Amino acid sequence: MMEGTLRILKRFIGSTMMISAFLLAFNFIFLGIWIFNGMNKGNSPGAVVQNVAEGLHRSSDTYSLDAISAKLLKEDHAWAMLINDSGKVAWNYMLPEEIPKTYSLTDVAKFTQSYLMDYPVFVWEHDEGLVVIGFPKESFAKYPHILPTSWVSSLPLRVVALLIINIGLALLLSLLIGYRLIRSIRPLTQGIQALGEDRETFIEPKGILADLAKNVNSAAALLRKKNVSLKERDEARSNWIAGISHDIRTPLSMVLGYASDLEENSDIPKEQRRKASIIRKQAEYLRSLVSDLNLVSMLEYEMQPLNKKQIRLSVLARQIASEFLNNGLDERFIIEVKFPDERVQVNGDERLLKRAIINLVQNSINHNPDGCVILLQTAFDESSRTCSFIVEDNGNGIPQNEIPNLLELPFSSKRKRSSHNGHGLGLPMVARIAKAHFGCLILSSDVGKGLKAELVLPSVNPN
Amino acid sequence: MGDIKNKKLLIVDDEYEIRNMVDGFLRKEGFGRIYQASSCTEALQVFHTVKPDLAILDIMLPDGDGFSLLSSLRQTSNIPILFLTARGEDEDRLLGLGLGADDYIIKPFLPRELVLRLSAIMRRVYSPPKQEQRPIFQLGNYNIDFESGIVQNDKNEYHLTAKEHALLFKLYENRNRIVTSDALCQAAWGDDYYGYENTLMVHIRRIREKIEANPSKPEYLLTIRGLGYKLMVKEEE
Repeated sequence: MMEGTLRILKRFIGSTMMISAFLLAFNFIFLGIWIFNGMNKGNSPGAVVQNVAEGLHRSSDTYSLDAISAKLLKEDHAWAMLINDSGKVAWNYMLPEEIPKTYSLTDVAKFTQSYLMDYPVFVWEHDEGLVVIGFPKESFAKYPHILPTSWVSSLPLRVVALLIINIGLALLLSLLIGYRLIRSIRPLTQGIQALGEDRETFIEPKGILADLAKNVNSAAALLRKKNVSLKERDEARSNWIAGISHDIRTPLSMVLGYASDLEENSDIPKEQRRKASIIRKQAEYLRSLVSDLNLVSMLEYEMQPLNKKQIRLSVLARQIASEFLNNGLDERFIIEVKFPDERVQVNGDERLLKRAIINLVQNSINHNPDGCVILLQTAFDESSRTCSFIVEDNGNGIPQNEIPNLLELPFSSKRKRSSHNGHGLGLPMVARIAKAHFGCLILSSDVGKGLKAELVLPSVNPN
Repeated sequence: MGDIKNKKLLIVDDEYEIRNMVDGFLRKEGFGRIYQASSCTEALQVFHTVKPDLAILDIMLPDGDGFSLLSSLRQTSNIPILFLTARGEDEDRLLGLGLGADDYIIKPFLPRELVLRLSAIMRRVYSPPKQEQRPIFQLGNYNIDFESGIVQNDKNEYHLTAKEHALLFKLYENRNRIVTSDALCQAAWGDDYYGYENTLMVHIRRIREKIEANPSKPEYLLTIRGLGYKLMVKEEE
């Protein structure tokens, strides 16, 4: 979250700086080609006056202006005069009436700096005196540029300083604007993040991003609605399965009850009793199927309540191993236990965890009719703070590519092949029990290499 | 034991076939006075007229549920009550037991299991107190008396300490079955038993010194490596 904000801010500042730099460069170029362009509109007064001064020649007592200079003056509607050394106008061209014909040194000094009777005038020296060109009133503005040398020499430094100040200002402004933007975006990003994490969210729609906030809110409401209907459907499905398994139990009671009764009845022939025994066993199988189905459905739809308490895995393992041995485990199977750390503990539902582990052991027994060694062990992973309950056998194993299949529910779209052994609910159930405890089931196996089932669960501090 | 079979039993279930089946199993076991009811109302009626000594209740009944029936029965009587129901969820089981039911059996059930559980409850509630006496049993040449805590053979007589008594009794209760070291420690030191494993080994050795001819080669009190211990007792017929 913080990282994301920082990244946005960085990007924002970067692009703002780019824009500033671009604008600056653009302005410089623009200034050059557009502003200064107008400055030299027509012929520059300096050029005109120089031209006129060079084009004015004296022959005996009269002056003559060459055609080019005359044409220049005409184009600019300018007038011209030549003031000789005694201050008199010796020659003129289109001189307006109001212009005096004699000038003192003071007059000359005055108009050279500024205007002559509001006419912008420019001067150039000539062999016979001073050539003065007057342009129409208000056609030029004259500014005397008088600059201290120190100012001129420090000009580059000042320009650089100005540039730096500009950059700094741009940075500051972009930071400020960026910060304000981020602040207005923050509720939105938080809201969207909450959406992603499936948390409830509502954003106060205000400021420039009010519309966006409203959209996020409506998306959140939509998601919520969908979640509710999904949950309702899950509940309905789970209740449906619970109902069916309930309804199956009563007729099954009679099948199991009477079959078992016949099996134990010494008045009937042995053969008939054997058949009753088969019915009884199948009824027991159906019973376990129904209860597994119900549990898996409850777990799948997250409706199974967990009665959690702290459980030491080694205690659980010893208990389960003893139960298998006490209930007459076939001699072909050997159960071994290994607990490197007795203190490994989890917070879990004892009945469910026990059911999961018994399932794993029974799985090893069912799939290795020729017998095998079943090793129960616990492990603790310091770095991930997880512990494992491992059930490992040295039996037939299964091909590696079939492992992912084993954890999917039978007949689900993800399961490529239906199970060929048992109802196929056992391992998916174990995986779901692990998931309900925020853990997972990891299977590893290969043909002839046995099966290793690892129930990874979050561990609690051994105290 | 004979008078237990004379007790009156009440079966409440809306399913006629189930009532009949349970009735049949119990009669076969020797229970002769069995009454049936198919609803809460009927059950209460029978309950007041017959005054049964034990009731087996279903939970789903046409005019109410077994939990409330149990509560109303409990207001006037303390007889043992069993649930026999198709509701298999942990919650229901815990609710039933929490309300004071003596057992909770989930359908489908094995008739044998029902009879055994029912008889166990009947014995506990109705048998004369002399049954409470702690057993005396024979282990090879040794005679072990849990009442006095004395182990005797033809030559010697040993006294069991309190812990040894608790451990040996736990093993005897589960004779011929593996008892995990956890269950043994819990029997001797209570729920906070963690850390007593080594002490347990010491106590087991002392018990062996008292009940085994050769304590280093035990015949009766066997170690089951990694799991716990097992007391081998030959049951006399």
